[in-house]
Formats: sequence, structure tokens, C-alpha cells
Amino acid sequence: MPRFPYTKYKAFTLSFSLFLILAGYVKTFAVHGGFANSLDFNGGLRLVIELPIGKGRPEIETFFLENKIEAVTLLLEKQKNIYQVDIGLGSIPKIEELFNSKSPGDKGASTIDRLVTLVVQQFQIPREKVLSADQVGAVVGGELTETGITLLISTLLIILGYLSYRSAFKFALASAIALVHDILFTLAMIGFFQIKPSVPIIAALLTLLGYSINDKIVVFDRIRENAHGKDNLSLSNIINISISQTLGRTINTSITTLISIIAIVIGGAIELYDFAYVLIFGVVVGTYSSIFIAAPIALIYDDWRRKSA
Amino acid sequence: MRSLSLILIPVAILMASATILYPNFAKRTLQLAIKPGVYELAAGEQTKLWKEFLEKWKKDYNLSGEWTISPDEELPEASVGFIEIQGRYITAAKINQISQENPELILEPKNRLIPTWIEEKLRGGKSLAIKLGLDLQGGMRVVLKGDFEDYQSKLRDIYAKELRELETQILNPITSPEEKKKLQDRKSEIESNFELTPIRKMAELEKAKMIIDNRLTGQNLTEPQVRIQKEQDAIEVSLPGVSNSSAILEILQNTETVEYRLEEPSPFAYRSRIEDSERSLMNQGRRDDTDIVKFQNLIKAKMGKKAQNQFINDLENKYKIPPEYKLYAVWGRGTGPKSQLLPRSFTVLERKIALSGNDMTNAQPNFNSNSYGWIVSFTLTPAGADKFFELTSANRGRNLSIIWGEKVISSPVINDPIAGGRAEISGSFSQEEAIRLANVISEGALPIPLNVLEMRFIGPTLGIESIEVGIRAVIIGFLFVMVYMLVYYRLGGMIADFSLVANILILAALLSLMDFTLTLPGFAGIILTVGMAVDANVIIYERIREELEDGRAIGLAVTNGFQNAFYTILDANITTLIAGVLMIRLGNGPIKGFAITLCWGIITTLFTSLFLSRLFVELLVNRFGLKSLKLKPFFLLEKKHA
Repeated sequence: MPRFPYTKYKAFTLSFSLFLILAGYVKTFAVHGGFANSLDFNGGLRLVIELPIGKGRPEIETFFLENKIEAVTLLLEKQKNIYQVDIGLGSIPKIEELFNSKSPGDKGASTIDRLVTLVVQQFQIPREKVLSADQVGAVVGGELTETGITLLISTLLIILGYLSYRSAFKFALASAIALVHDILFTLAMIGFFQIKPSVPIIAALLTLLGYSINDKIVVFDRIRENAHGKDNLSLSNIINISISQTLGRTINTSITTLISIIAIVIGGAIELYDFAYVLIFGVVVGTYSSIFIAAPIALIYDDWRRKSA
Repeated sequence: MRSLSLILIPVAILMASATILYPNFAKRTLQLAIKPGVYELAAGEQTKLWKEFLEKWKKDYNLSGEWTISPDEELPEASVGFIEIQGRYITAAKINQISQENPELILEPKNRLIPTWIEEKLRGGKSLAIKLGLDLQGGMRVVLKGDFEDYQSKLRDIYAKELRELETQILNPITSPEEKKKLQDRKSEIESNFELTPIRKMAELEKAKMIIDNRLTGQNLTEPQVRIQKEQDAIEVSLPGVSNSSAILEILQNTETVEYRLEEPSPFAYRSRIEDSERSLMNQGRRDDTDIVKFQNLIKAKMGKKAQNQFINDLENKYKIPPEYKLYAVWGRGTGPKSQLLPRSFTVLERKIALSGNDMTNAQPNFNSNSYGWIVSFTLTPAGADKFFELTSANRGRNLSIIWGEKVISSPVINDPIAGGRAEISGSFSQEEAIRLANVISEGALPIPLNVLEMRFIGPTLGIESIEVGIRAVIIGFLFVMVYMLVYYRLGGMIADFSLVANILILAALLSLMDFTLTLPGFAGIILTVGMAVDANVIIYERIREELEDGRAIGLAVTNGFQNAFYTILDANITTLIAGVLMIRLGNGPIKGFAITLCWGIITTLFTSLFLSRLFVELLVNRFGLKSLKLKPFFLLEKKHA
């Protein structure tokens, strides 16, 4: 059996992760000023328009892109060519700017009216084809962040408790830290690439959480089993053996999980791309962290306990 | 040694699942009810409406051309009263779309999707088909506008008495200047309550949004979207396809409150005025002329809230009830077994609310085995408990009435001061009424009345293109996974594939039994379930292969392999299950939708991988004498094993 010394490079893998996570947040907050705005979380302007046959998504997207207005376009009804356009609150100054450049001196109307005027001019549609236009509030409010943090902490506590009971505290601790690593890493990536947080993204994060828990337990169960009654072998040796033994399973499981998600991207479901990207990233990180984050941490903790004892 | 008859268990479960899923694929019949008013129109108008509908039918609704409509030429006879549509995959959202786009022709509450035999047998006709969420199939969007004028007038009602008292005191020459200033301050404080600043309005809308959210969750509608539209003082509610949107609207707009009011003090001067007049009418044999019978007839005719309020107002004037009191009807059931809930007598209560619904929480319907009736018990908030104690100690011997949505449901006498924060309401409730009352208390009342501003059908919020592509992609991905397993683990892969399909079948059946609404987060839960189910099988086969490579005999290798894998799989799944249960308890909306599919998915996964797969492998090896199990793809096989 090939025995690769997985834990030998622990200093490198741990600092590598730490560096990438920090870099992610630095870029998120220093360059972008935080996570991307999205209609689901922050609210914004929403237009529903019926376009004449022949015009569609490309025309809408080019128009908003040219004017640097961030908009998300969605086809609502194919037969009638009805589109929904969501615009974040951050783009309001751009809309005002564009409106003022096209019809200077015109004041009084609200941003929404101005947006409607702009769209009506651009696509040359009668005003009643703008089926609705309004400022809408967030669907998921601030309570979600709170719930999310409560959820994460309680999940971690339970994993700590359950795994300490089933195997050993060092493995439980390592799994929990690796889990935090996965979530932080994925959030850093969401901020780095300014992926718009939305309900599907929440679903992807939850899936990643479940996948990651599963992966860590499978690996640590093997370590526990191998460590049982073998006090003469060093923990690093046992860990390396166990990772080798579960490697076949790790590869097969991650490949099969990735297949269905990658199919979404290849298939071209544009509106699900963010969902798929986060999931793919999460599965890779979740698998990586079981081997290169959780195992080394268990080892480091074990060494520390031995030294201080 | 496993018995062959064990195989009956999975076979029975799979057959039950397939039967439960049958309505999803069966040919269904939908009856769209025609509005009775249509037949009263002129012939030309009728044909025009009908022709327009048929045009839309061909162009918009029946795109695939696979559904049939009858009658397809003339408007159905008035004696029939409905259009019949037959076909597969008729969704609730489609029915909403057709109904909402033809409001002049179709009477939505009377539409009927004829139940299949299994729905008839299992559910008494309630639908079993899997419901898809707003993001996957679309639904309806309702914009509800807050009626702040009505809100203001209600507020004035509440403070009316106090304001009047303040005014008389201020005008009273005896009051000292300092006292006057204090009273003046209090007066302006109350008056500032009536002023609706945009911030106030927003706060009330936020409250209403939260209550609507709770009500919808109570209706088992997963992930409705509720947003506030600032510009219009409105709340936008988007719902996945619902089979009866008018019923949902009624729930959303319901402004019923629960409150306590003291009855006028003994000797009930105002009430006896009414009673005397009613009695004298009865003695003259003019039962139909009594006010209570008139009021009952008004209720039976379903004339609506406005007419009822008008009637009560007129009565107050007729009997000269002073403004600090208000006339109410006491509702109850007669002695007959199917007697309707109707007003039975009149009573006069203080206009001032003694204890409002905001002081009560956590209500539960209970069955009282002593009185054989339903009661609702609830907890009082700390402030409410204090108020209740004060109220009951100051008013011993008086009657305290409980009013639910303008109906007095009971008026117990206050015998002793009540301390401690629990109380209960008894009345002649049916079970449903008790549940509804408990919900009203727990969720609180809508702070503002809401009017429907706009209602229209919307397509799936994830976009039609993406859903079509996404579904195809997931199916193709799933097939790839199956092929991968087949190539990698060969016979083992085949068994794994079979248990995977069984897993999804059972999960789908469970979800449709639970009336679950599937959304993208729910779908993600299924993807994770599939991933974990595949993982379970991979763990098992890797373990068996290790045992085989260590040179064990096949029978022993299989037993050991399953045993070794058992706790790993159990640990992994149980930890995820605990996390899932936490998500259900703590989370809402998308988190909950995800967690429900995940939790049930883990249960079906444990069943299929630890029981079903094992049964098959052991039967093959022990019963049918399978000699070798090749658990590696041909390109990885080493010579000595080949």
C-alpha cells in the first residue's frame, strides 16, 4: 500500500489555508468594502418588463453593463418574453447619473420612475409593458446571520460532544476546527469573487457543511479504529495509514458528488452557476481539509498534550 | 443465514412508495368552474369571453398540445358549469395561472382537480402529488396594501375614553396648573400615537410581515417570499402554486384579534334594555322581528363584515348605549349535533380593552376530558400577568368577556384574583376553531388591515431556462454516478445503484406524504443525500474489498465488511442528522427546507444502505452461492486477483 506522509507538510498546508482565507477577507473588505449586495439580502429595485419578440436577455444585459448598473436578469415567462430585472441599491447613483445625462433638468420623479423612463426609452416599449416597478425589501433579513451563527456554534458543540464520546476529544476538536475552516474558506471565496449572497448560496453552504461533517467522520473513524490498542505506533503513523486506507473512498465519493454539480455548469443553467461554483468549491475544500487540516491539528494537539503532561 | 422472506420488507416498502408517487405521473382531470355570472351576460359577451379563453388555451396554456379540453368549441352548458381538462403533470401553479388570468370566466374557489383512487383511499381526496416551490414552478404574487386609515380609526377607538376624560379634566377649573400641564403632556403623547410617520408605518409593516410569515409557515407552505414594498406601503407575498388561492388570501388578510373586556357592572342596565325589548317581541309571537334573529339572518346570508358592523352600530343607537360601552353579540352553538356557530344573544362591554392579545403568548389547543370540549390554554407575558392580576383583584364578582374577532365567546365571573401566568379559554369550540384561536393568540393579530392591490401569476423565480437545463443536468449527473459505480464496483455497483434508486423513491414518497414543498434548497438536500448514500456504499465495498485482499473467505469478508462499515456510516449520518434537526428547529425558510429533505434522506439512506444493500449482498453470497465479488474496475485489477 502506498504510504504518503500526509502530515509531514502540516506547517505548509496550515499556513497555506490561513493565508488564502486572510487574503480572501482582505480583498473582500479592503477592495470591495464587504460582501456583494443582493436583492435577497439587501433589497433593491425590481422591474418586470415584457419585451417585444426578438429582444431578450443579451439586450438587457448589455444595456445595464454599458452603464455600469449591476443588474440580475431573469426570464419569467418564455411565451410572453417577460423578464425580471433586479438592481441592487448600490446602483442608484448610476441610474440618477444616466437619467440626468439623458434628460437634464428633469427633477421630482423618484429613482424608480427614472429607471422606468430609461428602460422605456432604451427598449422602445410602451409604458404599460413595464408590468411592475418597485423598491423591494430583503427576503432574508438580518436575523439570518444571527441564526446562521447560532446554528454553526450549536452544530460544532454537538459534533464536539458526540465525537468526544464516540472516539477522542483530540479528533473531535480537529473535526470542529476543520469545519470552521471550510465555512470561513468558502465565505472568503464568496467575498473574493463578489458572488451575490442569495437563497441558493445558503443552500450550497448548508450542503457543504453536511458534506464536510460526513467526510471528517469517515476519516477519523478509521483513525480511531487503527489507533485502538496500538499505543506503540506514533499517531502520525496511524494517521498516515488511515488516510491511505480511506483514500480510495475519498476519491470515489468526491468524484461522484462533483459529477452532478459539474453537470449543472456544463448544462448551462446560468442562474444556478453561483450555486454550483460554491458547491464545487465547498466539496473540494471539505475533502482537502479532512486530510490536510483536521489530521495535522489532531496531531499538533496530541503533541502539545504530551509535552505539557 | 438470511431468510429469503426478508426480501418481502423492501418489496412492500417500494411498492407502497410507487403507489404514493402514482398521482404525480397519472393522467389527471381538472374541472375549472365557470362563474355563474357569465351565463347572465349577453350572448355576444359570452362568446367573446369564451373565444378569448380558447385563444389563450392554445397559445399559452397547452403548449405541448398533450392536454385535452372539453368542450372545445362552445361554452359549457350552464347546468354543467365547468370546463374539463385532462392530461399529465397539471400543476397547482398552472391552475393558478389559468384562474388568475381569466378572472371574468373562472370561479377559482370551485375549481377541482379530481383525485386519483389512491388519494381518495389514503387522504379522503386530498392531493398527494409533490408540490414544487416558488423557485421551481412559480405561483402567484399578491401585493397587499396596508390600510392605515382604518388603523388610525381603531387607535382612536382605543384611546377615546382616556382622551375624553383628559379633556374634561383639563377644562375643569379645579385642576391646578401643574396638573394641567401634566395632563396636557399625556394628551399630546396620545395624540402623537395617531400620527403616522413613515418610520411608524415601516415598523407596522415589518410587524405585519412577520405575522404573515408565521401564518404561511403554519399553512405548510414552504418558502413563501414576503417583502415590503416601501413606496406603496405594501407587502408583497409570493406563494408557490396553491390549490386554492382565495382561501390563502383569507388567512393572510385575517385581522381577528383576541382580547378581554369587562362587562358592564351589575345590574346590567343596558343589557336588560335589550333583553326586555326582545322578550316583549317574543311574547307577541314576532320572533323574526327580534334583533338577534335579524342578526343571525345577516350572518347566514354572508353579507360581510361591513354590514355586520353597521347593524351593531344601529343597535347601539337604538338602545342608546353610551360611548364608553360597546355592544357585542355572544356567539355559541345550539344543542343540535351539527349546530352552527351563531350569535345567540347581545351583551354590553366596556369599550376599553382590559387585556389585549399582545399580553398573551404560547397558546395551545387542548381537549378537556371533563367537559368533553376543546379549550385553549395560554401563557401571559410578565407584563400581562401583572395586568391580569390587578384586573382580577379590582373587579371581583364582575364578568370578564373574551372576544375573538368581534365575537364574545365566553364571559366567566371573576371569583378570585388570578396570579401566575397561565389561563385558559373554554367555549363551545370545534377542534379547528380551537386550533385557529390558539394560532391567533400565538402569532398575534395583524396590526394593520391589508387590502389586495394586485394579484398575478408569476413564473419560476429561478428562471425557466435554468430549471429545464438544471433538471436535465441533475438527471444526467445521476446517471453518470450510476455508471461510475457500475464500472468501479461491478456487481456491487449494481446493488448500490439499485439501493440508490430505492432510496430516492422512498424519500420522494415520504416527502409527498408530508405535503412537503420542494424548492432549490430542498433539492440541494437531496443532492447531499445522494452523495451520502453513494458514500455509504463506497465505504461498505472498500471495507469488503480490504477483507478480501487480506485473504478472508467471501462470506466472512462480507459480514466483516458490513460490520466495520456500520459504525462509520452510523456516526457520519447521525452527526449530520443532529445538525439537520438543529437546522429545522432554529432555521426558517431555505434552511428549514434544506434540513427537512436532508433529515428524511438520512433515514432512508440508513435503511437502504445498511439494510437493503446488506440483504442483497448477503443473499447473493449465502443463498445463491456467489463465489467471488470483484469490487475493482477491470483496469485496476491486479493479476493475482483477476
